[in-house]
Amino acid sequence: MAPAAGSSGALTVALLGNPNTGKSSLFSALAGIPTRVGNYPGVTVEEKVGRFAYRGRSIDLIDLPGTYSLAPKSPDEVVAVKVLHGQMPGVAAPDCVVVVADATNLERNLYLASQVLELGLPTVVALTLGDVATEKGIRINVAELAKRLGCPVVRVVAPCREGIEALSEQILAAPGTSPPPPVGLEAQRAKVDSSHTLQAQEAIARYAWIEQVLAGVVHTSPTLTRSLNQQIDAVVTHRVWGTLVFAATMLGMFSSIFWLATPFMDLISAAVDRLADLARAWLPPGALASLLIDGVLAGVGGVVVFVPQIALLFFFIAILEGCGYLSRAAFLMDRLLVGVGLSGKSFIPLLSSFACAIPGIMAARTIENRRDRLLTIMLAPLMSCSARLPVYLLLCGAFVPNVPVGFSWLRLPALVLAAMYAVGVVVAAVVAWVLTRTLFRGPAQPFVMELPGWRWPRMEVVLERVREAAGSFLQNAGTLIIGVSVVVWALSSYPHNELSIDAEVEAQRAGMAAAVAALDAGGTPAAAKEREPLVEQLSALDTEEGMAAARRGAAQRQSFLGRAGRLIEPLVRPLGWDWRIGCAAIASFPAREVVLGTLGVIYNLGDVDAGAEEGSSALVRRLRAATWDGTNRKVFTLPVALSLMVFFALCAQCASTLVVIGRETGSWIWPLVSFTSMTLLAWLGAFATYQIGTALGW
Amino acid sequence: MTSLAKVAIGSSAKVTLVNGTDPTAARLLEMGLTPGVNVKVVGTAPLGDPLELEVRGYRLSIRRTEAARVAISR
Repeated sequence: MAPAAGSSGALTVALLGNPNTGKSSLFSALAGIPTRVGNYPGVTVEEKVGRFAYRGRSIDLIDLPGTYSLAPKSPDEVVAVKVLHGQMPGVAAPDCVVVVADATNLERNLYLASQVLELGLPTVVALTLGDVATEKGIRINVAELAKRLGCPVVRVVAPCREGIEALSEQILAAPGTSPPPPVGLEAQRAKVDSSHTLQAQEAIARYAWIEQVLAGVVHTSPTLTRSLNQQIDAVVTHRVWGTLVFAATMLGMFSSIFWLATPFMDLISAAVDRLADLARAWLPPGALASLLIDGVLAGVGGVVVFVPQIALLFFFIAILEGCGYLSRAAFLMDRLLVGVGLSGKSFIPLLSSFACAIPGIMAARTIENRRDRLLTIMLAPLMSCSARLPVYLLLCGAFVPNVPVGFSWLRLPALVLAAMYAVGVVVAAVVAWVLTRTLFRGPAQPFVMELPGWRWPRMEVVLERVREAAGSFLQNAGTLIIGVSVVVWALSSYPHNELSIDAEVEAQRAGMAAAVAALDAGGTPAAAKEREPLVEQLSALDTEEGMAAARRGAAQRQSFLGRAGRLIEPLVRPLGWDWRIGCAAIASFPAREVVLGTLGVIYNLGDVDAGAEEGSSALVRRLRAATWDGTNRKVFTLPVALSLMVFFALCAQCASTLVVIGRETGSWIWPLVSFTSMTLLAWLGAFATYQIGTALGW
Repeated sequence: MTSLAKVAIGSSAKVTLVNGTDPTAARLLEMGLTPGVNVKVVGTAPLGDPLELEVRGYRLSIRRTEAARVAISR
């Protein structure tokens, strides 16, 4: 851990301000890249500290969460108040407070400033967005404002570093000073009608004081930018146009994380494969090579592959946030999500989860309300992510009859595919409904949200957001994910006994030969049809490749993971599965995208590339031919395929997601809750699907 | 006495009271909806809720349930 702020004689400066005031931009301009980003102990409030030097003096800049008030109502405000009072463990009491105030919205921004001034701490007010204010025709007499507030006021335009030097000077000069209590605030308090509640009296007095301070200091004249701002707003929040703009924006954002990220992800996979090939060529075959290639390298690849989606999503979110659209998106979508106990702010995280739950869960950082954020994180993995799509496509293509439904263009497989996406959404809605009435019960969460003015996003803030999201994922979640993947490798590789693998392969060969002989004796045309795949499998055993595949399959079946598959057979029988499907399902708990590969290995196909036409059709043929052990009853029927798909739609088969949930919630309880509840839901869903499907005679 | 939730789009009203003493009431007051202030209802989201307000020179969005707690006079 980095040394606590304030050590080694550095000045500790707290940066405090309302949300959407250009505070992040000012932080970057002052301190550059933060030296420490993490959570305050025991709460999921982000701690961001940066260090810079000015005139030979080190300054630790603490970026406090954006708050509207110092009356502690939310965890953010509690943290801000604690830090200001020097009561936060590990954080030195600030020597100076920089209050960030948006020059375009001074009246409301000074509410927080007036509270800070009353604390009597050395205070400097930084007037941000001065350029935007000028464009909007807002002129501020900075010298007069400083006189009336009783503390230095510096106008800054962070992106072009205007005023940064002057602000640094004031920060150096501030420690030891103490601003006088706001002149006239007590008088305003005395004037307030005492029939109002205490809270109302306080707010009335403060705003009356602010009006008094700003009278004659702020001059506003109408400008083109101002009217343009209102016109943009009129379109973007319009019933029809606003909805269209919103749909287009979301479609663009979603398809980019879905499609634009793909080439980068392919590139990463290809690089990892290339490295694996190199390692295979260099290392002697054996346990070490297997550990490095199938354990560590596969783990690293599995982590890095998420970075393009995370980076792209945060790039878009930061741009939308920077220009003020993120709040409008929440405003437009709020009504839709109120019904399930959420707010409009959950829309983008949940939508992103259709591409991948990991960036989606990380995007939930934009939700200030803890309860809503936690609920969103719990629901995100239920959205059908892109890793589920290959499973749906393969099973729909192979086992759902390709017949039209009502219209000639609407085919049953497409309908089933759509239904799989719907299953996740409907279950999520039900889960949200239940959770808000049980675990997350409490007073209705208010929705009081500022719609910030339109402005151009600051590129350095956008890039910092992307860097931070990708960096924190790689640093915090990445290492854990690699660890998990090594453990899974061990479980699927051991115990490894050559003799018993040989024995199993030979037993299989004998079994198949006997079955072929029995069918030959029958001599019916149906028997001939069943004979074909068996003969194909038998002759495959005579090739080097086929033998290797069979041995890999046997090794996997004999590993701990494979044994677990057999062990849980009684559990998966009611879902219509045989132990091999159970095996594949268990093997795909760490990452669901491996299921097709695992099915290939378990059915002795070796490593099939199920994405490729050839591998997929080979797998489909093998799955179609699969029979229950010792019978000629087919394993894969329509109800089985459907129950398997429903299971995949609802199950938390992604260790990376669980690790990220743990990181983002700062507790191991939530990944555990998510895992158990989703597994239970998946089992129940698959059970109902199979039983209903069988009863209806599908 | 009527509430902010009943104000027609495009009209303004003067806040007289924010009901309650819970955190939501405190937040509404802090955001500037104090007795005596002028508020304009600028519009609503496509599904009719929440509302977009203009108060103290900025845009604020609140749901109708919260707006119903803000008493106004015209």
